[in-house]
Amino acid sequence: MTALARLQAEFRAWMQQTPVTPHGLRTHDNAPDAVAAPDAIRARVSDTRKTTRDVLLDVYRDAYALRLIEALQTDYPGLHAMAGTADFDAMARAYIKAHPSRHPSVRWFGRSLADFLGATPPFNATPAAAEMARFEWLLGEAFDAADAVPATFDDMVALPADAWNSLRFTFVPSLRCVTLRYQVPQAWLRRAAAGALEVPPAVSPESTVDWPGVDWLIWRTAPDAETQFRSMDPDEAWMLDQAREGVIFPDLCDELAAFAPAADGVAAAEDNAAQWAAQRAAGLLRAWIDTGCVTEAAVA
Amino acid sequence: MPDTRIQSSEPVTAIAGTLGFGLGLRHQHYQEIADTPGKVDWFEALSENYMVAGGRPLHWLDRLRRDHPMVLHGVSLSIGAVDPLDIDYLHALTTLAQRVEPCWISDHLCFTGHAGVNLHDLLPLPYTEEALAHVVQRVERVQDVLGRRILLENVSSYVQYAESQLSEWDFLAAVAERADCDILLDVNNIHVSAFNHEFDPRAYLAAIPAARVRQIHLAGHLHCGTHIIDTHDHPIIDDVWALYADAIRRFGMIPTMIERDDDIPPYADLVAELDQARAVAAQALASRGSSP
Repeated sequence: MTALARLQAEFRAWMQQTPVTPHGLRTHDNAPDAVAAPDAIRARVSDTRKTTRDVLLDVYRDAYALRLIEALQTDYPGLHAMAGTADFDAMARAYIKAHPSRHPSVRWFGRSLADFLGATPPFNATPAAAEMARFEWLLGEAFDAADAVPATFDDMVALPADAWNSLRFTFVPSLRCVTLRYQVPQAWLRRAAAGALEVPPAVSPESTVDWPGVDWLIWRTAPDAETQFRSMDPDEAWMLDQAREGVIFPDLCDELAAFAPAADGVAAAEDNAAQWAAQRAAGLLRAWIDTGCVTEAAVA
Repeated sequence: MPDTRIQSSEPVTAIAGTLGFGLGLRHQHYQEIADTPGKVDWFEALSENYMVAGGRPLHWLDRLRRDHPMVLHGVSLSIGAVDPLDIDYLHALTTLAQRVEPCWISDHLCFTGHAGVNLHDLLPLPYTEEALAHVVQRVERVQDVLGRRILLENVSSYVQYAESQLSEWDFLAAVAERADCDILLDVNNIHVSAFNHEFDPRAYLAAIPAARVRQIHLAGHLHCGTHIIDTHDHPIIDDVWALYADAIRRFGMIPTMIERDDDIPPYADLVAELDQARAVAAQALASRGSSP
């Protein structure tokens, strides 16, 4: 290893030590690797006439943590409101340690936070936290996803009638779907309210372990438009998933029939189910188009 | 073999003399910039903020670029790192430059990470012959990829290494001359490092090759008594204005901009601070012309 490489390894080791905690304690239990001892960089620099090398080196180390915590606060305002500043700070420092930034832009630093919170004690004891992180990250993805011009209802009307026999749809690049068991989007809307945000409750108190949750749609239309989100019924979430996979419109209608509501406990007759499914599919497609989710309908 | 770097830098040189006074492009000011054109001559966009696929950042970048010259300023080139150059980053920068058509592209004379970990800070290099040779060959490589000359900025620093063989200013000058790159001179950073390391900031200015200086940064900082931290969250102080005047007297009118990255004030406040830069520069140029 060259002298320059050793210096940089030592500087990184210093930066990645556990920073000063909110309580003023520093631990040295987490040297990031065996390449350099956490304090090795101290031997390369001197005290000045005005202060010590530790104070000066701490300018870098403290800024490292604070900059990344600030990035997480920017990306996760709902989670910040939920946790409160002190707990958010502790969580962020644990995440910094587990997932050091490996991207040139701090924009991408927080991308593993939801998985981290879902898998790491004690944070995984609050599943709503991981859900809030997942939801907020997807909002961020939609915010600066590629732009696209949405298709219009007139575009659909202009299609030849036989095109509908094999029509496939393309969706705006910002479109994201997520399934949430907690009332996270509702809580997110209250994130800026005074006081700490309560931990969002589960959607249904009777929710079973196997219950997947509520499906949510996230998307943005114009380049400078606000990111939007709304919940979906299970049949819409299923149809959207299939449509994004490239399933053609007639097949979407056929398979949507499985969702036809039963009347008085009796399964819907096949003809009635097919009619219901065709109307339902057309209605959902119209809603997607009217809200700018679809960019193109093309014959397969 | 023709030197494409020199050819591609010629339009930049032509613009540089007339670019004037700029501000860092910050999202808090997008709408006001559009609503009140003509207050700022040009903008400096942070490259990494616009390395995204779409949405509001690129929408505003494109919209404001139509009416203003821009330069691109990066924080992740890590020109002094021992890690390999990040080719994906350079390609993203190339793509962004094709979109923005900046007057020039700048980054910092420092390293920002090691072993694949990005520390998101501008970390000082040791001023050694080894580091000099390392940086020079990387600058040449970057300029080949980008097809243009880049500007490197002097950073604020809080520590000096015992192993340094050169002064910071001699190191910066040597990098620029040997790698054939230009210099973004941050006057506030000179002030900060001069206080922290107890050197004469005017000696720094005197050692910088004037023909290489293409842009000047001004900013505020946080004085901690025993040291100064380069926070970009305060107005510019009088000592930095005085050093700026010295820089203009030495280098002539160099495109100048104010960096504000935290506690972002109203746009009008920064425009007023920029007017102060115009006044200081005008006075310095006048005194330069009248000096014997």
